[in-house]
Amino acid sequence: MEGGRSRPPPRCPPGVEERPYRSASGAPLALRRRQHSASCRELALRRPRLQLRSLSAVTSAVWLAAYGIFVLSENSMVLSAAIFITLIGLIIYLHFVKIDQESLLVIGSLGIQVTSSYASGKESTTFIEMSRVKDVVINEAIHMQKVIYYLCILLKDPQDPQGVSEVVPLFQSSQPRLDCLMEVYKSCQEILDQRKEAPQSSEMK
Amino acid sequence: MVENSPAPLPERAIYGFALFLGSWFGFILYLIWAYVPETWLFSLGLTYWPQKYWAVALPAYLLVSVGIGYILLFGINMMSTAPLNSTHTVTDNYAKKQQQKKFQEEAIPALRDIPISEVNRMFFLPEKGICNSR
Repeated sequence: MEGGRSRPPPRCPPGVEERPYRSASGAPLALRRRQHSASCRELALRRPRLQLRSLSAVTSAVWLAAYGIFVLSENSMVLSAAIFITLIGLIIYLHFVKIDQESLLVIGSLGIQVTSSYASGKESTTFIEMSRVKDVVINEAIHMQKVIYYLCILLKDPQDPQGVSEVVPLFQSSQPRLDCLMEVYKSCQEILDQRKEAPQSSEMK
Repeated sequence: MVENSPAPLPERAIYGFALFLGSWFGFILYLIWAYVPETWLFSLGLTYWPQKYWAVALPAYLLVSVGIGYILLFGINMMSTAPLNSTHTVTDNYAKKQQQKKFQEEAIPALRDIPISEVNRMFFLPEKGICNSR
């Protein structure tokens, strides 16, 4: 799972199971499933962290190219610009682009929480309450030049009880393959089925 | 013509031949305008022609537009593909307004658009079986 290094995989706490999968582009992913209670489940998709060898490859390529331009043009601003661009680019990449973990927390009576954790430590969270959620489904759609499977939350339409007002796609940056999506789908459906079995308590609102 | 069929008809043959002659005439005229020196044309009294620059510019413009047209068409296709978070990937106007026919015993069920939740349950939760649709 942590490709390229010979470290042993991190130990899961008891009660947590972790399985390896692949993303649509072939990158390794790890799905961690944790059952907090009968109606509360957390599913987290972890991606490998930023590798030292790719970081040093990109940095060396940029700095050597800048040095080559400096030798040809005798302009020392090129070197400082290269250092500046590398630093700013790395910070922006870690803070806005590189997602380390995407997790889904389904609480049967309360709602669904979606969290993305970036490499710089930033976490962005979205919470959708259960009364707005119609279903969690695996949808197929055309994306760029491919047809991909992706998991999405369907939100209810207040005017039309059978209609869908909004579609919220999940795991956008990890893009897991169908086998991983089926596991997540089955886990979510087990919790969503429970709210159908007890409609009286939820219709009281 | 009562029906719209692509079969050959006498009127269509005449139109085709007129277009054929017209396009040959246009082509010969274009060649004369492009190649014959201006002084010869002036001596014949034909003075009101466009500049000869356009004899080269117009074909160049045309070829470049054809090339850009390929890229433009590709781009328009990609832009009009529904994004992943739109409801058009799940349903559309026809599906929302469809009528639900009553289920009759021993009859083939009417054709309808199946909601995506049901489809998912059939594909990915096989142990539930084909449960009653709501």
